[in-house]
Amino acid sequence: MASSKQKFRPVSLHIPWTATVLIFAFLYAPIFVMVSMSFNTNHSVGLPYTGVTLHWYAELFGRTDMLTAMANSVIVGVGAVLLAVPLGLLAAIGLDRYEFVGKEIFRSLVMMPLVLPGVVTGVALLNLMVMTHVPLSLATVIVGQGTSLTCITIGEVFGRLQQVGRSQTEAAFNLGASEGEVFWHVTLPNIRSALLASALMTFSLAADDLAITFFLTGRDNTLSMVLWSMLRSQGSPIVNAAGTVMIILTLGLFSTALTLSFSRRARP
Amino acid sequence: MSAEAAVPGIRERSTIRRNARLRHSTVAVAWLGLPVAWVLVFILAPYLVNIYFSLGSSEDYAFNPGFSLANYQRIVTVQPYASVLINSTRIGALTALIACLIGYPVALTTAFGLESSRSRFVVQLLIMLPWWASYLVKAYAWRTILGSKGLINSSLIHLGIITKPLGFLLYNEFSVVLTLTYIFTPLATLSILNQLERIPVSLIEAASNFGATRLEVFTRIVLPISLPGVLTGAIITFALSFGDFIAPALLGGSHSLMISSVILAQLGVANDRAMAAAIAMLIVAVAFLLIILMKRLERSSAIQV
Repeated sequence: MASSKQKFRPVSLHIPWTATVLIFAFLYAPIFVMVSMSFNTNHSVGLPYTGVTLHWYAELFGRTDMLTAMANSVIVGVGAVLLAVPLGLLAAIGLDRYEFVGKEIFRSLVMMPLVLPGVVTGVALLNLMVMTHVPLSLATVIVGQGTSLTCITIGEVFGRLQQVGRSQTEAAFNLGASEGEVFWHVTLPNIRSALLASALMTFSLAADDLAITFFLTGRDNTLSMVLWSMLRSQGSPIVNAAGTVMIILTLGLFSTALTLSFSRRARP
Repeated sequence: MSAEAAVPGIRERSTIRRNARLRHSTVAVAWLGLPVAWVLVFILAPYLVNIYFSLGSSEDYAFNPGFSLANYQRIVTVQPYASVLINSTRIGALTALIACLIGYPVALTTAFGLESSRSRFVVQLLIMLPWWASYLVKAYAWRTILGSKGLINSSLIHLGIITKPLGFLLYNEFSVVLTLTYIFTPLATLSILNQLERIPVSLIEAASNFGATRLEVFTRIVLPISLPGVLTGAIITFALSFGDFIAPALLGGSHSLMISSVILAQLGVANDRAMAAAIAMLIVAVAFLLIILMKRLERSSAIQV
């Protein structure tokens, strides 16, 4: 299959290959620049590159407001996972097994926060909280993030269930297994890596997000919020150091998640 | 692992009854009850509350309920809302166009230029990684490149090409579109790639066997089949960049305000909750129209060979 694809290339790929290399440079250069500036001894962000230092990281981890913000980001990430993954798991199994009235509407509603700009989800949820007199706090942020990211788990788990097919589940039911037994011994082993991948993605997106957190947070700030307020005034190499930490965190979690997702998919 | 081996304590029961239970049963409520309730309360209800707010008005920092479309009318007719709306549409459309244009060759080489599925996965991962990287940090990264003390200006000054920093690089529509394009290119690329991977190799083989040139194969087969993927990518890119507030706030000038920045201003200084809600509903409406369009495209794009 692959070799015949190779043989019958639809177009000459010389120009696309050149473009691809350039575009990859475009995609990675800014991240590289941002990260390299965090090690620059220069006090303003930019050239000249006066020397290599870890000073900005020391300063970053020495500031209590930064550490609190990081801890808050982790709390939001973990909270969102605890909310979105179980909800998404229930929904995915339900969607895979049952036909019901309004199934398409349900699916569209769940997907809304992903295709709408975060501002919209944030404002709508904020208005709900205002209307019901719920005070804003990290808890409301967690509700917002968990709700808007439920679709990640649904997508991952539902996709996996569709791949696995229904024969194993039906066989187990036919042989008299209970709902719980089927879940623990048939469904769960098949979707374990999809669940883990969803959890990693959800954590990363929730901890990093600014748009929804911006509207739903009370007095507690996540790292994104602190960086946001710093950036609106002036850039500082501390921001680069914090940015590097966030890049490493998000990229590490995502490449692990995608590798988990792919390694299972490759099997027949 | 077979299901039989995995299920301990196999008991004899009616096969028919069991199958029936799997398909239609009250057990469905156990799986779906909580997620459906959650979605109704935290996704549907907020939009309804938002509509309620958008129909009222704000006076003297207090909200007055009402049922008027005045806020919507103001968005379309009163400045600065109308021009901000046009600005956002232009920036969103430009971003979608450029992201698809530069995403296409990448998708093409990934789909047809790589032999093993492993190398395709690695390239796909490389496309996606910048997408998953922190949104805020990516926008900030461009400021460190384009700023007056940024990479480009300080390099040019260092090399003696210019003496004063170039002002046109940052705080204008160019820098906003560049940053948004940078952020959304991976998404557009992946959408195009998904569609390209659906092209059956047999179709291309057949065309080649009948003497079609590479250009003909591209213009007659690859391009038409890939178009729904391009449009899907463009629509998502448009919807998300149209409503972005981070890039305009960090890299936009005073003239490149976008619609979501106005929401922030309405909820902050202006304290006009009703207006903010109306603008949010407008963004939802735009996105809805686009999603309906996308669903239609998805349906018409199924390849039958």
